[in-house]
Formats: sequence, structure tokens, C-alpha cells
Amino acid sequence: MEFDRFFKFSQLLLRDEFVLSYSGYVSEDILLAVGNTLRVRLEDHARDGAQIRNVFSIFVELMQNIIRYGVEGPHPGSDAGEKPSFGIVMVSENDGHMDIIAGNYVAKDEAKQLVDRVNELQCHSHDELRHMYRERLRRSPDRASKGASLGLIEIARRSTLPVMCEIMPASGSLSFFMIRATV
Amino acid sequence: MDLKLDATSRTPAVILDSAGAHLGISGESYPEDVTGFYAELTSALNAYFESGAKTLTTQIKLTYFNSSSARALMELLELLDEAAGAGIRITVNWFYDPDDDITREFAEDIAADVANAKVVICDLV
Repeated sequence: MEFDRFFKFSQLLLRDEFVLSYSGYVSEDILLAVGNTLRVRLEDHARDGAQIRNVFSIFVELMQNIIRYGVEGPHPGSDAGEKPSFGIVMVSENDGHMDIIAGNYVAKDEAKQLVDRVNELQCHSHDELRHMYRERLRRSPDRASKGASLGLIEIARRSTLPVMCEIMPASGSLSFFMIRATV
Repeated sequence: MDLKLDATSRTPAVILDSAGAHLGISGESYPEDVTGFYAELTSALNAYFESGAKTLTTQIKLTYFNSSSARALMELLELLDEAAGAGIRITVNWFYDPDDDITREFAEDIAADVANAKVVICDLV
């Protein structure tokens, strides 16, 4: 990478409001390592234990969503065999709030469905989300493909603002899916 | 049938002490392999119940668990409730952090579906 490009990048990332960002292939090992780093960073940035727990919890669900549903980026590795998921997660501070944003590539034809599932959660109250979570928990996992996943409902319950998402077109048959929760 | 698993950074400490009729789960739960982790506990518990156990007191003190663990915990409570239905005296003491509403609500919702076991939900102070 050229220095001027690196410099621009560092001017963005070295600002105080960035608590943590990770981009690249995501696995359970990486989730654990980045999660531990996030906790150390939150000790300095978060206002209390409840905020740390909620940010960490949303982070874990977002990373596990990428592991389960993310596809390889437009520059796939040469390794055959199991395909890793590619994504980016960023935690930033904004007037005492923490935004947790994740982005990952998804197949174009799945993107719309994903957006619908997130949007479906936006109009529900705390109690309605609690009820949805309970219903979802009771449903057997093999019938779990319809509606928002347990992880998405968990994110919505722990977010103080409605969970927002957006899709951007990416190369080939891929879209880039972005999702944001706030604590 | 006794089980003793030390806590790791992503799995809770688990102790099943058949002589003391006690099960303890404490720490954090977001295992890489949720199914495998809780299957070990399930089989130890089944062996304990089949050995003619009369009673079991369970203490759950989880400071964090992810949504996949939530499903495993619900299944654990179902297993305990079934055993209680078969005549074993079962008490579950579920502790939550006072600032953790979601865990308290989860414990309350799980407890509402438990018919035979006794579930006590308490502040972890």
C-alpha cells in the first residue's frame, strides 16, 4: 500500500471515536481474538457494564452471522475446500452512544430477503421483540429459515435505536450488506 | 456421571456433583461448538437421572451467553423439567446481573414454560 493511501486511512481510523475495527476473513478463532480486544477497548470507552455487555453481545451475533451467512469477497483466496467468510466490523463512539456496524458480501438474490428480515424488526417494541425471541426459541432449528434469526432478534433487543441496514451493489453476483445497531 | 469442566474464555465452568445432588453452570457461554458442549452435559445428566437420583439443585450464574447458547439453555431446562415430571425433585436457581434486563427476561420466559421443576430467579449481588 502506498503511504498516501495509508495516511488517508489512518486519519480516519486514529480518531478517538473509533473503538475498534476489523476487516478480513472471519472465523470463530478471529471472533474470540477480536472480541477480547474489543472488551479491553470498551473498558476505556463504555459508560457502564451494561453498555459493555450489550455492545459485546451485538458484536458476537454480528460476527457469527458473517461466519454463517457471509460469502467470500470479490477477491477470493486460492484455497480450495471450506470457504471462509469475509466481512468488516466497526465499533465507534458517538456522543456517548456506541454504533456497531458490520458489512459483508452476500449473494444478490439473498440480499433482499435479509433486508426484509431486518426491517421487519424495526417497528417492534421491546416487549414485542421479547415475545418474538421466545417464540423463535421454541421453534425447531430446521424450521428456522423463515423470518429473522434468533441472533438478529437478540441484536434488536440490545440495540437502543432501531437496527438499520442497507445494501450496495458489488461486483458480479454479490451485494454488500451493511447493518448497524446502537447502544 | 460426575462432570467437571473448567471455564474457558468462551465456555462456562460446569460441575455435576452426583453425591451432592448439585449442578453448577457459571461464567460465559458462546462456545464454538454449542451443540457438542451442551451434549456432554446432557448425557451426564441423563446418566445421573437414570441412576435413581431423587433430587437435583441447579445453580446457573451466566454473565454472558449468546443466542445459540440460549437455545441450548432452553433445552437444558426442558430436560430438567422432564426429570421433575418423572418424580425427581428439581430446583433451579438462576442468577442474573442486576443491570442485565435481557437475561432476567430470558430466565422469566424460560421459567414460564417450566411445569414441574421449581425455578427461582434472583439478583446476583
